[in-house]
Amino acid sequence: MAAKEWHGVDRSTLRWHPIIDEEKCTNCGLCLLTCGAGVFGYEKPINRFFVLNPGNCTLGCTTCGKVCPEAAISFPESSKVFIRNVIKQGKIFPKVKEELKARLEKFPEHELHQVNN
Amino acid sequence: MLDPFFSKWHGIDRTTIEWGPKIDPEKCTGCGLCVVTCGERRNVFGYDVEAKKAVVMAPLHCMVGCDNCAMGCLWDAITFPDDTEYVRRLSRSIPKHQIALELEKKLQDNPHLVVEGESELPSRR
Repeated sequence: MAAKEWHGVDRSTLRWHPIIDEEKCTNCGLCLLTCGAGVFGYEKPINRFFVLNPGNCTLGCTTCGKVCPEAAISFPESSKVFIRNVIKQGKIFPKVKEELKARLEKFPEHELHQVNN
Repeated sequence: MLDPFFSKWHGIDRTTIEWGPKIDPEKCTGCGLCVVTCGERRNVFGYDVEAKKAVVMAPLHCMVGCDNCAMGCLWDAITFPDDTEYVRRLSRSIPKHQIALELEKKLQDNPHLVVEGESELPSRR
């Protein structure tokens, strides 16, 4: 598998993933459903959901934590503080500029001209 | 505009759910990070190439509970509804059988997320 990057920043050097409080977790599985990054796994023999691939977690994403009905999911630190440090230290904007150009080329209907927000 | 694929959130009519980014054009510097942080499938944002500003094009495509674009906006130009318990209350209202149905399908489609034996597990206990 190719090295995971977040706007050019090497994902492998950064610690960002959900942490499940097993005391609170009721194993509803909504975290696995909501995650598009394949972070959660299902342990079939004991019918349990758990963090299978922490390194897949999208940097700064806390969606599973917000949808968890039991508030059983937390993260190593504040999402805002964490991701803004990554953005500043990683000097990502040249890469973002390239990605924006590519996105608008791929989805030309998203290129707008003087619309009022 | 609402792609039928996103018309429901775990069985709940997406148009009844208040979740999506709002951009303050006065604060937006046009860096474009929000546009590319949002996935290609949902693609909530457009980009005004003349004004050099991000524009919310498809708020109903926004993933309920995701505010990654706002977290990463260094200029605090993006806001979401500030009631952090709103999404949790919605989650609690999803019928159990709905979650079970969706889980069955997702695990069938993603067998790599299913662990059959404890020996395969990273240590967690």
